[in-house]
Amino acid sequence: MSHWTAGMRDSFFQSLYEEAKKNRNIILITSDTGAICHDEFKEKIPYQYINVGIAEQNMIGIASGLAQTGKIVYVYAIVPFATMRCYEQIRVDLCCMNLPVSIVGIGAGLDYSTLGATHHGTEDIALMRSLPNMEIYSPADGLMADLLARQYDNQSGPRYIRLDREGLPLVYEEESEFDLSRGFSVLSKSKQLYIVATGRMVYSALQVAKKLSSQSIEVGVIDLFRIKPMNKEGLWGVVKDAKCLVTLEEHFVTGGIGTAISELIAVQKKTPSFKVIGIPDQFCEIYGDRNDLQKLYNLDVSSISKSIKIWLKNI
Amino acid sequence: MAEEKTIKDKNILNEEIKSLKGKANRLRKKVLEMAVNAGAGHVAPSFSCMEILVSLYYGGILRVNGKDHNWPDRDRFILSKGHAAPALYAILADLGFFPKSDLDGFAKNGNRLGCHPENSTPGVEAFTGSLGHGLSIGAGLALGAKLDKKGYSTVVLMGDGECHEGSVWEAAMFAAQYKLNNLIAIVDHNGLSATGILEQYLSVSPLQNKWEAFGWDAISVQGHSFAELLHVLRVNAKQKRSKPLAIIALTTKGKGVSFMENSPIWHYRVPIGEQLDIARRELNQESEDLQ
Repeated sequence: MSHWTAGMRDSFFQSLYEEAKKNRNIILITSDTGAICHDEFKEKIPYQYINVGIAEQNMIGIASGLAQTGKIVYVYAIVPFATMRCYEQIRVDLCCMNLPVSIVGIGAGLDYSTLGATHHGTEDIALMRSLPNMEIYSPADGLMADLLARQYDNQSGPRYIRLDREGLPLVYEEESEFDLSRGFSVLSKSKQLYIVATGRMVYSALQVAKKLSSQSIEVGVIDLFRIKPMNKEGLWGVVKDAKCLVTLEEHFVTGGIGTAISELIAVQKKTPSFKVIGIPDQFCEIYGDRNDLQKLYNLDVSSISKSIKIWLKNI
Repeated sequence: MAEEKTIKDKNILNEEIKSLKGKANRLRKKVLEMAVNAGAGHVAPSFSCMEILVSLYYGGILRVNGKDHNWPDRDRFILSKGHAAPALYAILADLGFFPKSDLDGFAKNGNRLGCHPENSTPGVEAFTGSLGHGLSIGAGLALGAKLDKKGYSTVVLMGDGECHEGSVWEAAMFAAQYKLNNLIAIVDHNGLSATGILEQYLSVSPLQNKWEAFGWDAISVQGHSFAELLHVLRVNAKQKRSKPLAIIALTTKGKGVSFMENSPIWHYRVPIGEQLDIARRELNQESEDLQ
């Protein structure tokens, strides 16, 4: 059994560790955020592992300086701290200078459910999407996360990688099932309705499709794993003839992939009926595990299926 | 013999200082004209750090090459107080990093030189202007040099008001932890920021003690004295230290033009009319005095 079956976070860092052992230029910086295989970095390749302490602004600046000396730098923290606490450093030190640094955010969406709104990753796509030069990857499972950790050779500017801690079960069985350069993959086709999902919601979308197909609603599922730059032409080519289009994400509806795709379809002449499903524009003040919070926001498979069915009836 | 050598060295130093004073004066005049031409630019903050920049670039401290600005072993200089860009640009043009004629279009339509440095400009290492970024980037460069066993140094010039930024102290802790003895932070300590006098609204004093408390070697010098600046920078180059070095340079904002000196309103004001005449007259008078 390959290591990526351990889950998204551990597969990513295990893979990165294997690469780092071979390439001394790979540097992992954390702001006191751990993962199981970080111990191996610390013990076996200590000069390639830096814990800057709880100091995300400095983390980005250090990454910028190291990248200028030819290092391949990965910075790592929980999503809001990796993206918001140091947003202006990301903007200036990485994006304005266009340096190949990978920001790895752990805890997509409601992953850190019980830690509350401070730890929820609900605005990161919107923030990263607005920065010139930034690329955004949102893998659907550990297999894709594993590949992202190994693909840095052609990186010319900054990228943001949005990870789940777990991310199981797998969406893909083989790497050959997706093409990172294409930016998205069509997991199933439909002329009636497409769901464009990202991250772990891709797995949910597949389950929704299964549920709805048993009720004679044909659903195609698209995994939008590269949110920026979005392959607009390719994506539009797939969805343009469908009657209905739904976006699905564990992110605020403001500024996420729903917004990104609405920007795409707003300039088209004839468009499918369109629905955005995500977290409403409000901070979560209720506690529970991730499943509980998904139910709270109607982001569980049953609620998503139901809301799509009701929507279809009314259009 | 030793006494003769000392006298000879002193004479050489005096000649050098006289030459550097002339350079600083010519650069101040250039900065003033660049700003007047553009109707933009931070004149007083540029004047505040002029002797520091001249010491670094013309005093044999920074090993850089205008004809090969990406030379891998060059020393790295980061102007973290990016608003002093006119001073840096005037120097880089003088040293051949780009044509002097580019300065004529400073901050004007279509020109690549603006009020803050961008790393697309030859000789500029970091995109600054937003304060509190440079020391972290410099610490990353210094750590990179150590990891690659490279001998270059990194020098970061900051403002004292910039030391309000928490990120400065995150970087200071980091540099001490990693014993970045190839990193120098120079604080242009003129006591003024964009709108006021630091002591009156948020003091940064005592700066030297703060840097020492953060694990740095720290020393205060008169920031318009070439003798003091060159001494500390040259001694540092020869010394084997175990810590990063902070140089607190005591300066006067707007140095060289009487009405700008120690006056916060001149942070981002370009003189016109009678005041411009006075500024030009005073800088020309200094030129004559230096003859």
